[in-house]
Amino acid sequence: MQQSLIQALGIIDCSILKRVGKDQFEVLHSNTDWFSELLPESKGKTEFTFSNESAYLQDFLVDAEEFWQIGNAGQIQSGIWSEQTHERVLRLEAIAAVANGERFLVISNLQQEYERQQKTLQVARELLLSNDKILAQHEYVHERLDSLLNETQSLQDMQAPIQQAIDNANFGVMIVDSSLKPVNQNPMAFELFELSPQDASKHPLDIVLTLFEKQFPEFDRVFATASHWNGEIFWHKPPHTSKWLQLAVYPVLDEHKSVKHWLFIVSDITRLKYLLQTNEKLTLYDGITNLPNRQFFWQTLEQKIKANKPLYVLYLDVKHFKRVNELYGHLAGDEILVQIASRLTPLLGQDDLLARVGGDEFAIIFSQAESPSDCKELASRLISSIEIPFFTDNQQKCLVGLNIGAAHFPRDASNAEDLMKFADLAVYEAKKRAKSTIKFYSLELKEASRKRLELEAALREAIENNQFELFLQPMLDLDTGSVIKAEALIRWHLPGGGIACPDDFIPVAEQSGLIVPIGKWVIARACEMLSILQQHHNTLKLSVNLSPRQVSDRYLFDFIQSAVELSEINPNLLELELTEGVLVDNYDKVQLLLDEVRNLGISVSIDDFGTGYSSLSYLKNLPIDHLKIDRSFVQDLDTDENDKAIVLAVIAMAHSLKLGVIAEGVETEQQREFLKLNHCDTAQGYLFSKPIPFDEFCEKLDSKKNTDW
Amino acid sequence: MIQKKVCLLGATGVGKTSLVKQFVEGIFSEKYLTSIGVKVDKRIVDLASEQVQLMLWDIEGIDRYCGFQPKYLRGASAYIIVTDQTRSQSLIEGLEIHHQCREVTDVPAILAINKSDLDVAWHWSENELNGYSQEFEKCFTTSAKTGQQVNSMFEFIAELLYY
Repeated sequence: MQQSLIQALGIIDCSILKRVGKDQFEVLHSNTDWFSELLPESKGKTEFTFSNESAYLQDFLVDAEEFWQIGNAGQIQSGIWSEQTHERVLRLEAIAAVANGERFLVISNLQQEYERQQKTLQVARELLLSNDKILAQHEYVHERLDSLLNETQSLQDMQAPIQQAIDNANFGVMIVDSSLKPVNQNPMAFELFELSPQDASKHPLDIVLTLFEKQFPEFDRVFATASHWNGEIFWHKPPHTSKWLQLAVYPVLDEHKSVKHWLFIVSDITRLKYLLQTNEKLTLYDGITNLPNRQFFWQTLEQKIKANKPLYVLYLDVKHFKRVNELYGHLAGDEILVQIASRLTPLLGQDDLLARVGGDEFAIIFSQAESPSDCKELASRLISSIEIPFFTDNQQKCLVGLNIGAAHFPRDASNAEDLMKFADLAVYEAKKRAKSTIKFYSLELKEASRKRLELEAALREAIENNQFELFLQPMLDLDTGSVIKAEALIRWHLPGGGIACPDDFIPVAEQSGLIVPIGKWVIARACEMLSILQQHHNTLKLSVNLSPRQVSDRYLFDFIQSAVELSEINPNLLELELTEGVLVDNYDKVQLLLDEVRNLGISVSIDDFGTGYSSLSYLKNLPIDHLKIDRSFVQDLDTDENDKAIVLAVIAMAHSLKLGVIAEGVETEQQREFLKLNHCDTAQGYLFSKPIPFDEFCEKLDSKKNTDW
Repeated sequence: MIQKKVCLLGATGVGKTSLVKQFVEGIFSEKYLTSIGVKVDKRIVDLASEQVQLMLWDIEGIDRYCGFQPKYLRGASAYIIVTDQTRSQSLIEGLEIHHQCREVTDVPAILAINKSDLDVAWHWSENELNGYSQEFEKCFTTSAKTGQQVNSMFEFIAELLYY
């Protein structure tokens, strides 16, 4: 009856077989048209033995047999395959099923489904390929020009082949100076905007800047913070010309991390957009996550503002996403984005909207908030959902986080553009935090952002005008009482007088990347000091601190090596200090770096030991020489039994791992006595000396004859 | 006659289907038609003293629309990672796929740098390519359009698997 019903309905183009034994089947229903082409051995029979002619089906039957043997009700699918018969190519899918204790094999002919899927995928994949090509070209030109612009003093020095390549490129290239004045615009840049290079009245750059500013609220932030940007802009020239352009904006930084040039690369993607428009789903939805895209988000936001109902715009930036892409590849990255979308979606209400608005950026229109605390609560649910580890297809664990920026309509802004701009500014603030967090836009935030930019500018000047000085704080051998080492600590002589301590400016330097040139200066200056010191004190070591950002700088080792060579010092006298956080966040890079510096003869100590997240396994895997017990454990040594226990444990552990131990922040005789009694090797702190200028340090060193500070 | 299963893997649009079509049917089409799922083709390769039947599993391009499916490698005697020398990303993706394959099988892997009839438009240097090729049994620069190195690649695999 079932068979006749299937035939009567005629809606399923499939063949149904019942398994009667290993590779033996009874035909319950078959579409004789293609079924006998696929399995000629079944022709004219109600029962037949599978002859292994179809390699794909044979392979699937291995899984099917296993499934049938288990015998639990359910089904497994083979996935689509194409089978070349004598007459044609069949598009098929097989299902192995168990129902009512019986085993079935269903083979469906998916010709129509295949064609439909192929049509959609064809467009999607053509777009993907074209887009990849454009992005790859942009990246390549950017990389080449970035290094070239850094090497040459002026663009006149640019090598002829490079200039020729830019002139002949099939996309627009515009190089501008730090004040956005054009320096070089290639012929294609003019051609894209239908301008003539001979007509000096209008430049392609003017058009690009105007479009960028009008269409993207990030405009000011990108230039103020020297950020890289990539997106699509729309250009309309009345009456009939319209173009979609892919724009990439890159800052070119000098060795002081100041913007030397900006690089604009523009490609015409109108054809791609046209292809997209043939499929509405692709126009308004993101191809990876299936969420609404930026355009959809923007339209909805404008509609909601028109309706004049209060709402929050939340701008979400996925933390460490770049690292996922680098470590596990783009396919894994895409998979994580899909998982993120599926975790965030259920946390929102019906009136809310979640969209993917950029590479690793999502945005939410949150309509149900009555107060900022509702918004905070949502943010904490969003963050918690993302902090559960993700797993790639091949079970690699990935940890990411969320930075969230929020702006309120109508309190913060009355139009979509300002709302997005302010939410973007707030998320930029949230990014400064190590942990996932939400930041609300406020006037104070705007003010803080302005102050930070001022501090950054002042730091840039400080680098250029050499306003830094290295102070030295001695470290003493607790057995002999002699100075065996000193830590180099940076001070900033403020132009208006006074000295700034590292805590006041290092965080901003770290966030802005200025730590790289500052850190290089510290290393170079420490090497200079060592070359002077080693004339009289040829065993005295100097240690310098390395920050996370510095460790990420791939040229750090080359720089250290050249500084050591240039100053002709014994590398054994230089020591690098890293915190545990640096080790955990950049383990692979740190391992490589430490192996290299160890080969050179430089020693390494772990700063602030015991305060960070420590898996401790690094202690045996990395080439480390000393542990520095954090001052917070030392300061209450006289009174706190727990601190005593921790200090003793660290000393015991370090010694059994054959590492030296240095106690920081030693301020009292009792602390010194305790540490000495318990075989701590070295101590540093105000009991002996505060950090002092180099000359003073040298004087003290000579006058005290290196004993009894 | 022995049969050997060989999988063709790689990013979308690198020319896996075209390579098989060139080798099995000797034809090439300029039109790019994306594949879905798997298609198995067979061709007998004559060796000096014996014949080997290659069963070529042409597997859908791996991208954001279709993930890597290790099950297709079951029983494979070798696999070919196909890349497109006009697209830098195709080598990165090919290497990612190769590393994923290496987690489930250690059969010989061949690198095919396809579309040699077109100008090289990726930015990998000789040195970089030589470095990546080290991870493979052998590297072939192929063109499904002109047939360059297509037969020699499959013949090499047949010999490798037979002897």
